Amino acid sequence: MAVVPFHRVNVLTGIKASRIIEDPVQCADLILKARRPLLVLGAKLIEWSVDGKLALEYALDIARAARIPACGTAHVKGKMVELGVSPDSVYDAVEIVNALKDPDWRGVKKEGNHDLVIFLGVRSDLEEQCLSVLKHFAYKHLRTMTLDKYYFPHANYSLPNFKKDEQWRGFLEELIANLRKER
Amino acid sequence: MAEVVKELTRKEKEIRELVRAEIPWEPVGPTPMPGIADLRSWDMRLLKTYKPWYAPFCDLCCLCTYGKCDLSQGRRGACGLDIATQQARMILLACLMGCSAHAAHGGHILEYLIEKYGADKKIDMGTYIELEAPNIRTVTGLKPETLGDLKTVIEYVYKEITHLLDSTHFGQEGSYLDYESKALHASMLDHVGMEVADIAQIVGFDFPTSVADTPLVDMGWASVDESKPVILLVGHNPATSTTIIDYLRENGLYDKVEVAGICCTALETTRYSDRAKIVGPLSRQLFYVRTGIADVIVTDEQCIRTDMPIEGDKVGSRVIATLDKAMYGLEDATDWDTEEIVKRMVEDKKHFAILNTKKAAEVAAKVALQVAPQRRKRWITEEEAIELAKKCTNCGMCERVCPNLFSIGDGIVQVAKRNFDLIKEQFNQCIGCGKCEQECPNKVPIFKIMQVAASKETWKIRAGRGAVMDTEIRNVGAPITLGTIPGVLAFVGCSNYPDIDDVADMVYEFARRKYIVTLTGCAAMVAGMKKFENGKTVYELFPPEFDAGGVLNVGSCVSNAHISGAAIKIANIFAALPLRANYEVMADYVLNRVGACGIAWGAMSQKAASIGTGFNRLGIPVLLGPHSSKYRRLYLSRKEDDDWTVMDARKREIVDSGEPSPEHIAYVCETKEKAMVMIPKLCIRKNDTPQGRSIKLNHYISLYKKYMGGGLPEDVHLFIRRDADIPLVYKKEVRAYLKEIDWQPKEPVGLPTLIGTYPTKVPLEAVIH
Repeated sequence: MAVVPFHRVNVLTGIKASRIIEDPVQCADLILKARRPLLVLGAKLIEWSVDGKLALEYALDIARAARIPACGTAHVKGKMVELGVSPDSVYDAVEIVNALKDPDWRGVKKEGNHDLVIFLGVRSDLEEQCLSVLKHFAYKHLRTMTLDKYYFPHANYSLPNFKKDEQWRGFLEELIANLRKER
Repeated sequence: MAEVVKELTRKEKEIRELVRAEIPWEPVGPTPMPGIADLRSWDMRLLKTYKPWYAPFCDLCCLCTYGKCDLSQGRRGACGLDIATQQARMILLACLMGCSAHAAHGGHILEYLIEKYGADKKIDMGTYIELEAPNIRTVTGLKPETLGDLKTVIEYVYKEITHLLDSTHFGQEGSYLDYESKALHASMLDHVGMEVADIAQIVGFDFPTSVADTPLVDMGWASVDESKPVILLVGHNPATSTTIIDYLRENGLYDKVEVAGICCTALETTRYSDRAKIVGPLSRQLFYVRTGIADVIVTDEQCIRTDMPIEGDKVGSRVIATLDKAMYGLEDATDWDTEEIVKRMVEDKKHFAILNTKKAAEVAAKVALQVAPQRRKRWITEEEAIELAKKCTNCGMCERVCPNLFSIGDGIVQVAKRNFDLIKEQFNQCIGCGKCEQECPNKVPIFKIMQVAASKETWKIRAGRGAVMDTEIRNVGAPITLGTIPGVLAFVGCSNYPDIDDVADMVYEFARRKYIVTLTGCAAMVAGMKKFENGKTVYELFPPEFDAGGVLNVGSCVSNAHISGAAIKIANIFAALPLRANYEVMADYVLNRVGACGIAWGAMSQKAASIGTGFNRLGIPVLLGPHSSKYRRLYLSRKEDDDWTVMDARKREIVDSGEPSPEHIAYVCETKEKAMVMIPKLCIRKNDTPQGRSIKLNHYISLYKKYMGGGLPEDVHLFIRRDADIPLVYKKEVRAYLKEIDWQPKEPVGLPTLIGTYPTKVPLEAVIH
């Protein structure tokens, strides 16, 4: 949590910032504690690769390991189909966020709105806006997390800025292993 | 019931005088020169379906000294404002900035031309345009006949801007919906202000009008002959640029001096002289200025680097600021002797503000001719670039500050290794903000190195043609409203993000599919900066008419009013609905029956915010590129849950159409590929005939299959009313899907309208034609 100055009216310049999650075990716990998590997959996942493995494949491993429904945004669905996976839902990033902010929305599985939404691979300018929407208009019923390589202050939980792809990859692999283990 | 005869108030009488209500070219509608609240009920009806989506800038409000106030997690500020209302207030401010930029531009041009020709100069838009000012006539009720009439209109806009700005003061408006209504009002006025500006320009500068086949002009820095003195024009206002051309012509110098432009002044100048050159869009401004090719840089207004004199100093270019809106702290030399200004600029390398266009033009020409021979102008060589690139350690600081999210450092280290492929690719994505170079701890001159990446290609763009002709509207009105021309697209606004090729690719795809494609401003430029088959740009490949498969450069930013104007013309000329002071009826018609969609793919300025929001009030959806989510307000529906009830005016019954058309009116797509799928969907309207709907769905499904990995769109069933709507080529597959989900046919709405579904003064009869 960001430090809030004592004389906040006169001094406050910042924003409520996300909690940084550096431990994959803790991250796995947070995901597994959620009753109805949702994974939102952005188009960067079909551009990024780490050591030859497409970032989308890591995302799909997370979805499988934690049994989380995946929402394909933009044209991610095409690549998912190529990889033999059908998304549980197809919405653009702004559309899924528009639905998520409604506490009465029934969710992608029609079982009720989600209590944790995890973003991965939405381009950072757009993802930041999406997190801002949910921070301000869904804070009563929804927590937000991002598993991107960089820090997003508007989320409830964010990874730190990883200097190297290998560090990020290491985190994701450990996260996947822990999700599998604890499931 | 006894008829209530309302007595006119003093204000209403004054408005009727201003709009010359006694001249019966059409009956005066319900809202002549509307004030803030007059179209509020229309806005509220729009906002009921298309609810604002806010991504607040900040948790705080910092606009008064009562705070700072933390508005997060349901808190209210010291004035009582919540975060949604604060965000809507910021949106209104952005729209007011945009609206006032265009209105003040129009106001300046009018003053200039009235000074030159008198207020009685007639407005003549040529043989094929009788409906000369659809926005002005619709909004104000005035049919402008002279430049003086345009002044009446712009004074109305100024007055409304003052009232709207007032509402953003501490302790005023307290509802986000009302702030949105005000933003919609400001943005509708923006289209009025733009129309004033461009009509005045067309009349006063003899820009093309009543013509489609305007000249193809040269674009790209390679089109500029660097061996000659070069005058670079930056901004939007053609008063000075046209005077420079006049001066050069009158003094036999036009062959000796190159006149080139960046951003909209470039487009305007090519409407005046097809020998003027377009360097490129806004994103090329800093790059080109830093090449030092320009001997004199003449600025006017809007979207200019605010550090232009500093940049000029770096490369030895002399800067002349010609409008009071952007004087950069320069000495005002307007009243000085011309020769004295020239001497100081040449010998002392000074920059000046000169607010007299004739004097500024003469000084620009004389200084360019004198300093050019003294200056050494050349692009760096590959060997020099390689040496400079060796300073880069690829520390990643440049990537951290890149708004377009790429690592120029990766490209620079490749240059050091004699590989220019990546940096060439990156140059196309670069939006030219210069933040990377500023941030670089090793002071790598990134923009200089980029000179070796910059393509030396030239392209052809069609000079801006101005308004769509009435005759064209008569030809396409029926196919557009029936749906057999699948849509009218307007690529507008800035062009920076995410990739400069995106706009050209989209234009090409949809022109091939026989959509009508209109373009303005920087979007019009970048559409021409890609060559397709036979090395031709979209302007050479497709016809320039407002017809199926046409690609039209309408003109500059202010020419956007001709696109909204074309939509109004369809309602008025084709459907014969009276437009005079009848905004609600026009907007309702456009929303329900004109399959138009704006695409502001790389939009970033406040003007783009007001242009887009103005389209929204008129019922035209606007699709934004991913970076434009930074406007932080969209208008979205929830297709499964929202109320898609409309009035069937033919049956006089309110019916639940169940059809989300158009689904959203301000929307962000994350990728070009998804935009290709979304655009045909946003052109669907309830009024489509079965044949028209089947054509539109054919494009929607085929583009979905192309970009989304096959299958059918998840929501295709929502747009199929009867079996006849299903495109022939997908009949089998769609029928099988509809059977699987137990789809039931529904009755198409005969004459869809929102009039009658919300409280309004407009009677239902008003929309029946």
